Amino acid sequence: MTIVPNALCFGAEFPATGSPCHVEVSSRGITLHVEGYSPQPDGNTVPFSLLTVSSGGLDHDQLVVKWGKEPSTRTPYVKDPVLIRAFREAAPPELTHHFEAAAAKVRQARTHRRRMWGIVVGSLGALVLFLWLGSDWLVDLAVSRIPVEWEQKLGESAYRDFLAKQDALKGGPAVAAVNEMTQRLTSQVTKSPYTFEITVVKSDVVNAFALPGGYIVVFTGLMKKAESGEEVAGVLSHEVNHVLQRHGLNRIVKTLGLMAVVTIFVGDPQGLAGLMKQVGLELVTLKFGRAQETEADLTGLQLLQRAKIDPAGMIRFFERLSEKDQGRMEWLSTHPMSTARAERLKAELVSLPKTIPEPFTFDWKKIQESLGVQPVATP
Amino acid sequence: MKSEILYPGAFPMVRVELGAGEHIKAESGAMVSASPTIDIESKMEGGFLGALSRKLLTGEKFFFQTLKANRGAGEVLLAPTVPGEIVVLELDGVNEYLVQKDGFLAGAETVKIESQMQSFTRGLLGGEGFFILKISGTGPLILNSFGAIHKVELKPEQEYIVDNSHLVAWSSTTSYNIERAASGWVASFTSGEGFVCRFRGPGVVYIQSRNPGSFGAWIRQFIPVSE
Repeated sequence: MTIVPNALCFGAEFPATGSPCHVEVSSRGITLHVEGYSPQPDGNTVPFSLLTVSSGGLDHDQLVVKWGKEPSTRTPYVKDPVLIRAFREAAPPELTHHFEAAAAKVRQARTHRRRMWGIVVGSLGALVLFLWLGSDWLVDLAVSRIPVEWEQKLGESAYRDFLAKQDALKGGPAVAAVNEMTQRLTSQVTKSPYTFEITVVKSDVVNAFALPGGYIVVFTGLMKKAESGEEVAGVLSHEVNHVLQRHGLNRIVKTLGLMAVVTIFVGDPQGLAGLMKQVGLELVTLKFGRAQETEADLTGLQLLQRAKIDPAGMIRFFERLSEKDQGRMEWLSTHPMSTARAERLKAELVSLPKTIPEPFTFDWKKIQESLGVQPVATP
Repeated sequence: MKSEILYPGAFPMVRVELGAGEHIKAESGAMVSASPTIDIESKMEGGFLGALSRKLLTGEKFFFQTLKANRGAGEVLLAPTVPGEIVVLELDGVNEYLVQKDGFLAGAETVKIESQMQSFTRGLLGGEGFFILKISGTGPLILNSFGAIHKVELKPEQEYIVDNSHLVAWSSTTSYNIERAASGWVASFTSGEGFVCRFRGPGVVYIQSRNPGSFGAWIRQFIPVSE
């Protein structure tokens, strides 16, 4: 007779892996068929009164039925839930109450395990949330403890390293113009521990950047592209505010801290998980970068206003940048989209008191000519 | 489907003979050679999410390869990555094995593979991680080990202690607890065993004669450090 196995039978006469067997439950007891073994000596059906039951298996979720005397003990392990339910319904309660107790213990262990996992996942989540929301506060606290002299040393060494490899303008109308702009901006900054040092570097890059401690670099590319001194002054004002708000230092602390925290928790995973860690870190630092840029934009605008430099130049510059932005995605970039920046600045400008701008003493066209820009013939 | 272990010992291969239309699934990269009648497909066992969870949770490969004898009978040679023995188990639909993540080499198409979450202590201290493979179904299941495979047969209620990183597979009728190897914490670690698993029968436990983690630590000292 071939049987459809639904349980594994163990005992001295069976192999250690157990023999596949078929267990049938009836109102009188259970019937066991093991392929290749003779039926029970005491008839095919074993009455419930001869059985002992317990729970077994890795997670104690299997029904273990046992009867007979050594060495002919038979111990089928049942894991089919339908069969277990049938057994519990058919067997007298005094037989199954041990098993019921064991089943309750299994359920309890399962709840305990779920709760344990819940606590672990929950506390990790809470920690991540805390770091996400509280990180600005923590970083600000750490940054406020770093003396300005350290920041200046840090910025200066990076600045000198950078300039050593660059072609800086020593003097001339362009440098004089940048110095005039800086002078007008910094004279409006009170109670600043920084002395600003600005260098104009020959390069076609349309950009400028600030290092911690008051070191600012302006590329001639930016000055060639700008249509007025006010546009360059707008960018300078933005960079000066990066320095004043210690954004560089902030960013260093945040990136290092974030790296440390993430590494402590996830270690140095390989493959896909490692890639996810890297991308995650990248996205967080980018988001952080955008927040800084927006802050520097707004405070930069206020500084321009105080220095009586026409803020329209800054807005105009971003509008012209936005023409190149097409197809860029804001959340994948450190800088906010230029269109959005220009809009934000326009909104901010409305709320500021009106001032009458005072023009610069230089002629912007002449400055650009000194940088090699061909004068455009105006009709 | 017939299987035969070639070159038993440290560097074995398994030859699987597939009848026309038969399939076998294997760990990706396990195939050594095959008859021209065999087609290789890669498959995300258990669907995309199943495969993803297996990859992220157990560290098993994302794809399994399926070898199909589409155009007639043929043979396939399979080999594991690490040196060590291969064992073929026959699943009958009732028995079920729990396999540590690197132990699976191949199985018949009718063999079912799931990742199973372990209890917190077992996952943390058991040495196999929080997720292991639960393999059931019918047909041959081919496992591989690091070093030789030793089979321990446990009678009902019989207990046996195994160092946690020497486990390959165990039947689901056995249960185990994690314990310190020695009675004190310090002695547990200075004895070099740390934690051990106390198994309780009935069932079988397959253990490997070498510990991959210790071997990795040993070999690391000979790898030149690049600056």
